[in-house]
Amino acid sequence: MNHETSPDRGLEPRVPVHVSVVLIGVMALWSCQSMPPPDPQAKLIAKGREIFLNETFEGNGRTCGSCHPPENNFTIDPAFIATLPKDNPLFVAEFNPDLATLERPRLMREFGLILENQDGFDDLEHKFNMRGVPHTLALRTSVNSPQGPRTGWSGDGAPGDGSLRSFATGAVIQHFTKTLNRVAGVDFRLPTEEELDALEAFQLSLGRQEDLTLPLPLKGTLPKRGQEIFLDNSLGKCNLCHVNAGATANLGAGNIGNANFNTGVEDLPDQPARLVQTLPIDGGFGTDPDGGFTNVPNPDGSFGDKTFNTPPLVEAADTGAFFHNNAIQTIEGAVGFYDGDSFNNSPAGQLLASVDPEGAGIELDGTQIVAIAAFLRVINVLENIRESMAQLEASLKVHRAKADEHLKLAIAETKDSIMVLEAGGLHPEAVAHLKEAKRLTKKAARSWFFRKANTREAIEEQKKAKAVIVE
Amino acid sequence: MARPGVVMGMVAIGALLWGSTPYAHSQKTTEMFIPLGQSPGLSGKITVIGTIEAVDAQNQTIVVAGSSEKWSAEVTKDTHIWLDRSKLGLSNQYGTFTDLREGRLVEVKYEGTERRSEGPAVWIKVQVTTPSAKVGEARQ
Repeated sequence: MNHETSPDRGLEPRVPVHVSVVLIGVMALWSCQSMPPPDPQAKLIAKGREIFLNETFEGNGRTCGSCHPPENNFTIDPAFIATLPKDNPLFVAEFNPDLATLERPRLMREFGLILENQDGFDDLEHKFNMRGVPHTLALRTSVNSPQGPRTGWSGDGAPGDGSLRSFATGAVIQHFTKTLNRVAGVDFRLPTEEELDALEAFQLSLGRQEDLTLPLPLKGTLPKRGQEIFLDNSLGKCNLCHVNAGATANLGAGNIGNANFNTGVEDLPDQPARLVQTLPIDGGFGTDPDGGFTNVPNPDGSFGDKTFNTPPLVEAADTGAFFHNNAIQTIEGAVGFYDGDSFNNSPAGQLLASVDPEGAGIELDGTQIVAIAAFLRVINVLENIRESMAQLEASLKVHRAKADEHLKLAIAETKDSIMVLEAGGLHPEAVAHLKEAKRLTKKAARSWFFRKANTREAIEEQKKAKAVIVE
Repeated sequence: MARPGVVMGMVAIGALLWGSTPYAHSQKTTEMFIPLGQSPGLSGKITVIGTIEAVDAQNQTIVVAGSSEKWSAEVTKDTHIWLDRSKLGLSNQYGTFTDLREGRLVEVKYEGTERRSEGPAVWIKVQVTTPSAKVGEARQ
C-alpha cells in the first residue's frame, strides 16, 4: 500500500486542524456580530473615557479619574480615599515637597475636601477655599442656564468660554500641576481641542440624560409622603429650586435653568473642616460682591457674591457629603439644613419667607425631614437600578474583558442601592432582590460559561426590586 | 394648590433672580495661566490677537493691529492684565497698564460673548519674551 496515496492516512492528522479553523471562523463571526462598529459619537465618548481615566497631561500624575472615579459615582469621599495607597497621586501634597500646599491633606482625608484657588492666585497662603468634589453625573441636565454654562460648585469653574468643554483646561491648571508655578508646557500640558471635545462628550454621556417627571407612582408610604412635601410649594418648597429633583429652578417665572443661590451654607455653625483648621470664607461665584471678577473682597474677607450652584438631587443620596464644603454627612441632615437658621436667615431663605403668607421660609418637622430624605433615597435607588440594568445589558453585547468593566460598575451601583435603602430603613423586599442581583452579577463576573445567563438573572432581580419601589 | 399671593411672589422672585444673575462666562481665575492664543472656546473665535500699535495712557486705551484688522480696547478698573511668560518657561503674572507697550503681542477678550472690535476689555494677555521683565516694567 502506498502510504503516500492512502486517502485515510492522509486525512487523519488534518481533522483537528480543520475543526479548529472552523471553530475560529465561527468565533470570529460571532465576535463580529456581537460588536458592531461604534458610531462616531460612541468613538468620541470612548476616547474621552480613556483620556478621563488615564491621561495625566504630563503633570503630577493625577487624572480626571483621580477625583472622579467611576466606581465611586465619579466623586470621592473619606471612605473611598481611605482605600487608596499612600502613593496615589491624589496625595501629591503629602509626598511631593513642591506641592506641599496644593492641598490640605488632613481635610482631604477626613472630609474629602480639595483645595481650589477660584478667587485668584495672588496670595496662595490665605486665598483659597476647600470644596468637596461634585460628581459628574447627569451633567447634560445641569450645566446649562440662560445666563451661560454653569460648572463647579459656584458655577464659574471653567476658564475660556466657561463651558463644560473648557472645564478640563482649568482643572489641569489647578490640580495636575507639577509645581505651583503652573507653567503650561513645563508643569503640565494643556488639553488639545480634540481632547476637550472627547472629554466633554464622555462627561455628557454619564448618568441621566434627562430630568424625571414628578410625581412618580411610588409605593412606599414614607417616600410617597416625602414626594408630596417635596412638591408642595407652600411646605417643602424643594421643587422651586430643584425642579423634578434636578438642578434647575422654576420660581414661578418659568424655568431659569441651573441657577445660583446664597443659601447660607457658609454660615453654618460647627462646619466640620472649620473644627480642624481656620479657613477663609468661601465667597462662591465671582470674585467681587456683585458677582463680577474684579477681586473686591466682601467685608468678611471672602471673594464673590456668596452664591453657589444648584446640584441635581436624584444623584444626591449616594454622593455625599453635602454642599460645597461637605458640611453635612447624611441626606437627612442635608434636608434638615433647610429648616435651620442658616438657611432661613440667608438671602434665599428670606426671599422664600417674603412671599409666604405667614412669613416662613422653610419650616419642617423631624418626620417631614425624614420623609423628604426617604423620597430622595428611593429616586436615587431608581436611578441606580436604571444604571445597573444599562451596565448589565451593555455587558451582554461585548466581549469578556469589556464585559467585566460593565459588571464591575453594575456591582458598584447595586451596592449603593442597597446601602441607600438600608440606611433609610426603606423597602426591605427590594433590598433582598438587590442583594440577589449583586450576587448574580458577581457570579457572572467570575463565570466563563454562564456569564450571560447570570447577567440576565441579575437584570430580572433589578426589575423586581424596581417593582417594589415604584408602580 | 398654591395661593395666588404665593404664586405672584414666586414669579417676582423668579424674575428678580433671572434678571440679576451675572453671565458666567470665562471667569475662572485659571485663565491667567493659559498661554496667549490657547483659551478654549475663546481664542480664534471671540478674542482678538495682535500687536499693540498705540497706547493712550490718559484715556487708558490701546490699539491692537492684526494682520489685516485693527481693534481698540479700553482698559477699565475691572480689566485683568496678565503677563504670559510661558514661552520663557516662567510662571505667568498679574500685570498693570504700564505693561501694555507698543510692539508687544497681546490677546484681548472684550465684554460679552461676541467678537468685537472695540470696547472695554475683560482681560488682556501680554506675551513676555524677556526674562528680566517684571510686573509693570515688562520689556519686549
